[in-house]
Amino acid sequence: MPHKQKVLYIDYSTCIGCETCEYVCRFVHDTPRIHMMRTASGVMAPLYCRHCENPNCAKVCKRGAIVRDKSGAMILQPQLCRGCETRQCLLACPYAAMFETDTGVMLSKCDLCAGRRQIGLSPACAEMCPCGAIHFIAREDIAKIETDKSREAFERVMGHLRPGKGKEE
Amino acid sequence: MNAMNFNFLCGDPPPASARSVGIIGAGPSGLAAAGYLSCLGYLVEVYDKLPKAGGLMLFGIPGHRIPKERVEAGVRRMARKYGVVFHPRTKICCSAPLHDEEGDHFCSDVRGLGDLVKKHDAIIICTGSWRSRRLGIPGENLPGVMAGLEFLFPIRAAGYAGPGIKAPDVAGKTVAVIGAGHSAVDVVHSALFLGAAKVHLLYRRTRHEAPCGSYEIDRLEAAGAAWHESVTPLRFTGEDRVTGVEIREKTLGEPGPDGKRCALPDSEHVTVIEADLVVTAIGETATPPFAKELGLENVRKGEVRWLHMTDIENLFVAGDALTGPSKIGKAVYSGLRAARSLANWLDLKDQDRLADYPYDDLVAREADRFPGGRLHR
Repeated sequence: MPHKQKVLYIDYSTCIGCETCEYVCRFVHDTPRIHMMRTASGVMAPLYCRHCENPNCAKVCKRGAIVRDKSGAMILQPQLCRGCETRQCLLACPYAAMFETDTGVMLSKCDLCAGRRQIGLSPACAEMCPCGAIHFIAREDIAKIETDKSREAFERVMGHLRPGKGKEE
Repeated sequence: MNAMNFNFLCGDPPPASARSVGIIGAGPSGLAAAGYLSCLGYLVEVYDKLPKAGGLMLFGIPGHRIPKERVEAGVRRMARKYGVVFHPRTKICCSAPLHDEEGDHFCSDVRGLGDLVKKHDAIIICTGSWRSRRLGIPGENLPGVMAGLEFLFPIRAAGYAGPGIKAPDVAGKTVAVIGAGHSAVDVVHSALFLGAAKVHLLYRRTRHEAPCGSYEIDRLEAAGAAWHESVTPLRFTGEDRVTGVEIREKTLGEPGPDGKRCALPDSEHVTVIEADLVVTAIGETATPPFAKELGLENVRKGEVRWLHMTDIENLFVAGDALTGPSKIGKAVYSGLRAARSLANWLDLKDQDRLADYPYDDLVAREADRFPGGRLHR
């Protein structure tokens, strides 16, 4: 793995839920790999892949269809993915960042705009976010740009994704 | 702050092509379309009535939500590096008398659509939704009753337009805001920030139905606003200036079999909320020029020969002007798709191959790729 692996980081406290990321992703990839969630209380948050260091999705995939590319992104190989009914990867992702679709292997996942990176461009969502909430940044530098507000917003979003966890009640 | 990269589809600018495209409106959809087309090497000229490109990203949504530097830097990059020409303060005439919409007073130049159609190979109309919805109740024309955009617009515009434009004077006053969408939230925050003594937020349903979500309402209450739900504004009170809103309050019962909650019997009563200023933030409607002549209704329904093309062959339409008020993301997407459709059309036309692609087929194929909505909007 390269020394400085770049991943996406979204500051949920500066995101306004405008859906530009999702629609730009849709334009570039036809099926979006980032999805704006709206919780029952109206909190908007884009769900996105962290390209984890220990990715659960790859661990549970019996086909080995989710692999790391040479710059560190977790890539779905549609040739190996059989779109299995178990949907293990979908369930295993702690960030709800694997998306069920109605085309192909019926699964879509962020590859950090692999085709764009090949020609020296950055992930499209980060380029177009009006708020500058989406960072394409080295994993070890994320801590430097986190704020109290962003951590609080992250916890709030995760509270909706994994209710019960991290709460006392 | 990095630039918002409207030219995200290309690296260095491509060789210039001989094509010239005009874009009317420099909001999210217009700028996205300009980015796409300038990445093809087209000469793109963008016309906008406001003194700066950015549309409601700059002039509607408060700066603490969208940093203006990021939008400005993206526009500057597009102009300097990709040769996009911006014509600010230029209104392309006209869906309504000038000075009918917010922001019209900035215009120093008015041009006809016909001139543009002749000047450019093709045009995209991205004029957005600028006319505020009205409640249609008595007293709405009283001084002191204003629409959401009318309230928010000068706050951002004051920085660009010189002494003529002033932020609304609410210091020490009581403000009532009607609506519970994101612009209502922004009005409440701005009013509190500008020093309003008391801010009431009125909504016809409950916080659980509020378009901005109950979380935002909780935050507004924490910031000091008073929330009134299940109230219906009946009329604005006052003689020569608004003094308050007369409302009907009710208490809702448990949801019935159809999930709707009806008012409890005898729970309805009429009261008046005193206010020095009332802001009706209940949404906007699209303001495209020549909606009827261009057959925009058909474009909207997808009954078109070519995606996003109007009844005039080289005239395309995108963004909120087509769909009505939406979100930045949808507007961007619509602008990108209109730009791609326009470029495809110009390419085929130049090669005299338009007949190879039956229009209907093209639109249908596009619809197949986006199930769940004919043109996925």
